[in-house]
Amino acid sequence: MSTTTVSKKHAVPSAGTSGVNFLRVLNSESIKFRTLMSTKLLLVLTFVAIVGVGVLSALVRWNVVNQMVTVGRQGHTMTAKQAIESFPPGQGFDLYNLPNAGLNIGILIMGSLAVLFIASEYATGMIRSTMNAAPGRLSTFGAKAVVLIVVSYVLSIVAGIVTFLLASPMFTNFGVDLGWSTDGVLYSVVTGGLYVSGVALIGLSLGTLLKNPAGGITVLVGIMFVLPFAGQFLTFAPGDFWKYVPQYLPSEAGGRFLSIGHADGILDPWAGGLVFLGYVILFMVPALIALKKRDV
Amino acid sequence: MIEATGLRKVYGAKTAVDGISFTVQPGKVTGFLGPNGAGKSTTMRMIMGLDRPTSGDVIVNGRHYSQHKAPLHQVGALLDAKAVHTSRSAYNHLRAMAATHGIPNSRVEEVIEMTGLTAVAKKKAGGFSLGMGQRLGIANALLGDPQTLILDEPVNGLDPEGVQWVRNLARYLASQGKTIFISSHLMSEMAQTADHLIVIGRGKIIADTSVDALIESQSRKRTLVRTSETTRLSELLARDGVRVEQNERETLEVYGVEPLRIAQLALDNRVLVYELTPLTSSLEEAYFQLTKDEVEYHSHITGGPTGPGGPTGPGGPLDASPAGVGAPSAATMEGIQS
Repeated sequence: MSTTTVSKKHAVPSAGTSGVNFLRVLNSESIKFRTLMSTKLLLVLTFVAIVGVGVLSALVRWNVVNQMVTVGRQGHTMTAKQAIESFPPGQGFDLYNLPNAGLNIGILIMGSLAVLFIASEYATGMIRSTMNAAPGRLSTFGAKAVVLIVVSYVLSIVAGIVTFLLASPMFTNFGVDLGWSTDGVLYSVVTGGLYVSGVALIGLSLGTLLKNPAGGITVLVGIMFVLPFAGQFLTFAPGDFWKYVPQYLPSEAGGRFLSIGHADGILDPWAGGLVFLGYVILFMVPALIALKKRDV
Repeated sequence: MIEATGLRKVYGAKTAVDGISFTVQPGKVTGFLGPNGAGKSTTMRMIMGLDRPTSGDVIVNGRHYSQHKAPLHQVGALLDAKAVHTSRSAYNHLRAMAATHGIPNSRVEEVIEMTGLTAVAKKKAGGFSLGMGQRLGIANALLGDPQTLILDEPVNGLDPEGVQWVRNLARYLASQGKTIFISSHLMSEMAQTADHLIVIGRGKIIADTSVDALIESQSRKRTLVRTSETTRLSELLARDGVRVEQNERETLEVYGVEPLRIAQLALDNRVLVYELTPLTSSLEEAYFQLTKDEVEYHSHITGGPTGPGGPTGPGGPLDASPAGVGAPSAATMEGIQS
């Protein structure tokens, strides 16, 4: 048939006549996010876990420092400040990054939640309803990404602030100068949120690519937690070259982004951030292409 | 209006839909019939833009589905009763879907009421029975008050009241000038709902016709004959090349011959016949007839009729395999008259 007449009947007012646009899809995705009991529970759990692990990790640091102050190392007792500074930076005894002490657990849970946010739609068949309502497809990914970025960012920042509030008094009791104005504290709060948001985007991309919750979470854990472990072995390989490779892993580059200061032989924080951003894009682009081209 | 031209979908080595063209007209209920695996669902997924056609094209209301500015107002689809997140309540599912088009929550409540889901709307969709899941899928399809409604096996798992409701809904919406496209593998259901039928088998369209015309073209004359001398009568009939089946004791089904001629034959040969009932072919039988060669997944029972070259040629005794449509019956009538 060469000509087509689209019937221009008036829609029944009760259903409205509005079209689909990004803000509406965003609203839809935020309703989806808010109306799953499991998601709400997971968010509470994430908050508790970040703060809990953060405080525990701070306690470990406090304990080590306390040993050095009261018992001493090789017979010499030292002040808390000396004790903390006796560790090279990046060994986990910096105090400015206390807000992010429990961040790794946040990455694990928020990353998994991000995988689930789309993969569970594939698993349940919901994705077909979603794609019917927003057939552009990419807007759905974008809306899910915005929801995840906002939630991850706010959650990480609040959890980071609470961790710092709970953990910093342990060290100020030593007489160490530690507060919001200490170099790097606010920086680590802000970047911690960005890092978790980035991991959530990687999770969303993996969920889209693999369509399978278990598979997506496994790959994410592999990338963020198993690869760095494997990277440790590389540093034992002969030659200097291999020592510089692991820092380019997503978790290492992202972790470096959260710290401050320049050190020879390792990426600067901003460079670490850029490498990590590169990974986020590296996962997102194929996910977007697959989403657009693939049969649902 | 749905217009498909040369629509084809290949999954690996399997051709699910093999270059079909059809038009679904507004103001009518069009039934999309075919055995399992015939390509009905694949076709509907392509209409909705979920699957990309390997070749060919399909447009709804003048455009590709995804190019509509307000797709939910154009087309509502129930493609899969399970297209719902199992842990979300029916109400919240519909609310999230409605939000994409700024459809107010009052409409969500309206479709919940229309589909009889009020009592379970706040419960998790994962716990729904098949029938409740279908109702939710239909509610989802109706959300945007669409111009075109596509329902894939909507009555699956519905109770009789629900089946009746879907039928009335489809007829009502069609009378409002909307395009209604319903797939089913149940001819009996379509017979009561559809005005027009598109029959598909193994990815190809077998028939695209009105319901009445389909019955007309596929129905064949059959007569139920009760006699105490079944063997003798069937031999007499078979001599003239008439197809006869014996399903019960003292009962024959005779194909393609007027009752009068059977009576005449019986009288001439002094066979006592105590019942002669003309049987009209139902739509269901017409459908079986139409799709018998196109069924993808046969339930095989071994020991069928003998293969080619067997003893049962035309005019042989008690041909068990169904005869062709049309031509043979004319030939057999000739035989009887002579």
